[in-house]
Amino acid sequence: MTQTQLEDVKPGDTLPPLVKSASRAQLFLFSAATHNPHRIHYDREQAQREGHADVLVHGPLQGAWLHQFVQGFAGPRGRVLSLAFRNRGPAFPERELTFRGRITAVEGDVVTLEVWEEDDTGAVLMPGTARVRLPRRSA
Amino acid sequence: MSLIPAETLARVGERLGEPVSATLQAHEAERFAYAAGDTNPIYLDDAAARAAGYRARVVPPAFLVWAFEPPRPLDALREDGLWRDAGPPLRLAVSRILYAGEEWEYRAPVHAGDTLTAETRLAALEEKTGGSGPFVLITTETTYTNPAGEVVALVRGKRIAR
Repeated sequence: MTQTQLEDVKPGDTLPPLVKSASRAQLFLFSAATHNPHRIHYDREQAQREGHADVLVHGPLQGAWLHQFVQGFAGPRGRVLSLAFRNRGPAFPERELTFRGRITAVEGDVVTLEVWEEDDTGAVLMPGTARVRLPRRSA
Repeated sequence: MSLIPAETLARVGERLGEPVSATLQAHEAERFAYAAGDTNPIYLDDAAARAAGYRARVVPPAFLVWAFEPPRPLDALREDGLWRDAGPPLRLAVSRILYAGEEWEYRAPVHAGDTLTAETRLAALEEKTGGSGPFVLITTETTYTNPAGEVVALVRGKRIAR
């Protein structure tokens, strides 16, 4: 895996996007891994009874993807110090979900990021902020 | 009429439930990483994690919450599949509770095999008005503490109740 170095980044830089699309089977596995039996993640009729067009991608799965996106930017020797996100809109399986971000500040070896998840219509589903500590180029 | 009864509002700052200790299981952390589609080797391979500066593989950060989920019997299920005791135990004049986001702070690496204690407090209750009417923003704060007494991670969980 490539390692992002502190010297290589500056405010305004954009992060390489991460694209995800959950199958229904993945939603089932995530429900199982998190002991979450809520039917809106596997039963379309129940999801519709609760006002949704289809079963929903779990908010915490989207949160896990945001973590993956930020750790992927930070690289193996980068450390994620904080990550905050708000769940703003529903995400559905078998649809492309894209994670994007840009650098808003660099102070010392700590980089602040604005990050967000958008769906295939461009709607922002999960906006957030993160701070990561990046290694300096080896002296 | 307020959605937050006065006696519930008075609980802001209180601890919710007893602290829970758990030893993080490597196979459960791996199952979580795979279910999330996250195959970063720092979560799966000790040698890769050591090369990245850790003493052994770390757990995916978002896994922490789930490592403390209590086992529950089937009769604890509601009709919609939620656990009857899911969410903070608060009396509110609402019918639904929705996941609204999380704010994480990571202070030290967390490895499979570590034993941590999770303790949750009611951090805030705020009554707001949105596009679909009044709601309550519930903020809980959970700290994860190692046996040396250091907080290694902290999460503020947000839920919307309406």
